[in-house]
Amino acid sequence: MDPFYYLLQPLFLFLRPPKLRLRVPKVSLPSAMTVFALVLISYFFVISGLVFDVIQEPPGMGVIQDPRTGAQRPVVFMEGRVNSQYIIEGLSAGFMIVLGGVSLLALDAAADKSKGRNTRLGFLGAGAFGFWFSYQMAILFLRFKVPGYLVNSQ
Amino acid sequence: MAEERSGIKNSGLSAVVCAFTLLLICIMAFAIRLFSVVKYESVIHEFDPYFNLRVSQFLAKNGPYAMWNWFDDRTWYPLGRVIGGTVYPGLMLTAGTMWWILNSLHITIDIGTVCVFTSPIFSANCAWATFLLTKEVKGTGAGLTAAALIATVPSYISRSVAGSYDNEGIAIFALVFTFYLYVKTLNTGSLFWATANALAYFYMVCSWGGYTFIINLIPIHMLACLLAGKYSAHLYIAYAPFIIFGTLLAASVPVVGFNAVMTSEHFASVLVFAVLHVFALVAYLKRTLPPAALKAATAAILTIGAVGAAAFAFLLVGLVAASPTLGWSGRSLSLLDPTYAGKYIPIIASVSEHQPPTWPSYFMDLHVLILLIPAGIAACFMPLSVPSAFLILYGVVSVYFSGAMVRLMLVLAPAACILAGIGLSEGLHVFARSLKHGVVNMKEEIAKAGEEDEDEGAEGASKEVVKSGSKEGARDAAARASKKKSVKKRSWEKPWWTRSEGPIPFEMAAVGIALALLLMFFFVLHCVWASAEAYSAPSIVLASHNPDGSTHIFDDFREAYGWLRHNTDENTKVASWWDYGYQTTAMANRTVIVDNNTWNNTHIATVGMAMSSPEREAWKIFKSLDVEYVFVIFGGFVGYSGDDIAKFLWMVRIGGGVYPHIKEPDYLKHGSYRIDSGATSTMLNCLMYKLSYYRFADATMAPDGTSGYDRVRRTEIGKKNIKLRYFEEVFTTHHWMVRIYRLKDVPNRQKGARKKAAKAIGSPKKSNKLPKSASKRKSRIGGLRF
Repeated sequence: MDPFYYLLQPLFLFLRPPKLRLRVPKVSLPSAMTVFALVLISYFFVISGLVFDVIQEPPGMGVIQDPRTGAQRPVVFMEGRVNSQYIIEGLSAGFMIVLGGVSLLALDAAADKSKGRNTRLGFLGAGAFGFWFSYQMAILFLRFKVPGYLVNSQ
Repeated sequence: MAEERSGIKNSGLSAVVCAFTLLLICIMAFAIRLFSVVKYESVIHEFDPYFNLRVSQFLAKNGPYAMWNWFDDRTWYPLGRVIGGTVYPGLMLTAGTMWWILNSLHITIDIGTVCVFTSPIFSANCAWATFLLTKEVKGTGAGLTAAALIATVPSYISRSVAGSYDNEGIAIFALVFTFYLYVKTLNTGSLFWATANALAYFYMVCSWGGYTFIINLIPIHMLACLLAGKYSAHLYIAYAPFIIFGTLLAASVPVVGFNAVMTSEHFASVLVFAVLHVFALVAYLKRTLPPAALKAATAAILTIGAVGAAAFAFLLVGLVAASPTLGWSGRSLSLLDPTYAGKYIPIIASVSEHQPPTWPSYFMDLHVLILLIPAGIAACFMPLSVPSAFLILYGVVSVYFSGAMVRLMLVLAPAACILAGIGLSEGLHVFARSLKHGVVNMKEEIAKAGEEDEDEGAEGASKEVVKSGSKEGARDAAARASKKKSVKKRSWEKPWWTRSEGPIPFEMAAVGIALALLLMFFFVLHCVWASAEAYSAPSIVLASHNPDGSTHIFDDFREAYGWLRHNTDENTKVASWWDYGYQTTAMANRTVIVDNNTWNNTHIATVGMAMSSPEREAWKIFKSLDVEYVFVIFGGFVGYSGDDIAKFLWMVRIGGGVYPHIKEPDYLKHGSYRIDSGATSTMLNCLMYKLSYYRFADATMAPDGTSGYDRVRRTEIGKKNIKLRYFEEVFTTHHWMVRIYRLKDVPNRQKGARKKAAKAIGSPKKSNKLPKSASKRKSRIGGLRF
């Protein structure tokens, strides 16, 4: 028997306990899908350089002067420097990278034979295109940041 | 499960192919790190490796016991440094052991050469350790992929090129090897592997301060497994002996000492140790007690345990809260709270490696692996076992920590390679299986088709025999027609979604494998480019390209250290900013005031104050430290942007943090440090400015009459006519990158010194007064006035 019951019994000689319907809440572990979704979201934020954004507080987008008109023009990528970024630039690059990761999961879903034909075709097309597209975009973004990418200096 | 996937026929041939591939991977890992040796020479890079080299040279000459007891008086003058107690000895002992083995075999290699090549050798070992770790979790195919990835991943190359003789070169191998032994213990439950795990952890503690990652990750994993209800004997044997032996061994390393039981970095391991024993007790009680007694026991334990745990937690919170950093060291706390260093410890914030990374850092360092990591994590989820949960946790935790500090991208590298290797290998498994099924089925169907043709031929022959009978002929014709309809289509003629062999059709698998190989080709291309262009620069030697394409080498640093070594007395003290301390003691062999160890903030602040003060005050400060030579790094002549003027803001901040009369706004004009005509007068008069730009205007007279154009700041300097009264220039290197000055001596006769001494004592001036003519004679010996 629960020892606290014996401790509290004298109290209830003159107190009337209310009629409650209390239940111990059932704590269960989150499902694998939930955990994976959380992992993917946190991965997106870290890859986008969120900690850099919080500490160095760069502007959301940069501005340069248009050489022809002299007006201020917003620009997304901070060109030439690897150790600095704008916030939007980080988020868009992170999106491309996570898109690449998710495309592989779509390709895996396309290999599952229990789905119908159209579903499988759809996953296959989306996965293949998504992976190719995200890789190309990531390389394009990197060429903004590192002008001499894949150029041998010797 | 792992073995089933590695091959239908698990013959000896597959083991030979696997071993040969692994050998090729190790050779690739060694070879890709040799770019700087080929391009320049076999030289130690950067700053920290020079200190490690010096300690290794001492070890080679005097033996390990002398190294344990070494008190170095040639650095942090006049404080000195206890080398035995402040250095992680694993790297030096490893290189020293290799040197000793080679020399006892009469292969007389110099210790410097052994040090240069230590990192590539251990990165080959790391590839092999990664193979073992991934094989334990997911099988041989994933193991080989992960090993190939980590052999070439640029993030690891950046800290382990030939010449980068630093702790991380061997520590990453120790990290992966310790994790491998941990997973092996989890899988086998044998005490032998648990002991090996503790010994590998000891090697890791000897090697690198990052060992706290292991002692926190393994408890996190253990806690996750316990909360998921996976308690078993294997779990206990993997964890408990490791913690006990591991903590004892960690405390044996002088650098760690009692930190192993007193700091918060180790606290998680003890907490989870207690939790593990609670779970073990519960499991034991469940096994042995009858149900009624079990209920009573549970109730009793919960109540007494709750009260006891509350009291203990209260005590603990009190103890931890008593320390201002809650028991964590400054560096660890800046990992958990990245804003901490910027506010409280400017030295940690000033190191560029401690900044958080931006997204191009991730892509440059890991390339396509960051696209493959989610697939690897998903593959670890299906199915989720205790070892694969460990890999997921390793990946997630290292991704977070690498997000806090660029330097820790190195800890992410093995996790990224393992997870990406698993993801890639899963895809390649699907492709390979489909290819295999497609080929096998094609062969079967061709064989079957051959038999059917023979039957039809026999039919045709028998048809002619019975042609005479029209009824039979009609029946035969009908039978033949129906047989034609029922002839099955070949599998490759059917639509692909109805095929039932491998997961995907043969052609698709062939295309998929070709594309995957293309992707890996681009990855290797990127890695070789990054290794050759970005990560093979020995900072001691700089190179630039002439317009005609040839390389121009800047060897100014070694020139300056060589000058100091040959032209100064052996016991002179040299002062400079702390970045160059290790190189000065190692190459110039002179005593320095501050060096890269940065253990004493006040001493560094003193040097920073001297650099920011006017000439006379700086002279006095340096004289009080017994300094005879001061040198500064100046990049304005050639455009080297990492010079001391660029670092000046840290001198002001660190100096100002300890000495309040140094105020940063005095040096700022409109919020930025300037050295041109818009600079503040404090800036134009400070020692750093004068020492950097002395004679600079005269030496850089341009044809149009301007002079003193600083190529880094891209502006003319503000004060061009600089006169030094307390320092004299003794050496400037070829490209003006290092400028060495000597403190002028105090003159023998000083004007007004007797008056000052008399005032200090308090006696009347009259009795000690010299004839007027003598006292009024100006004392200009050496041009100094005091």
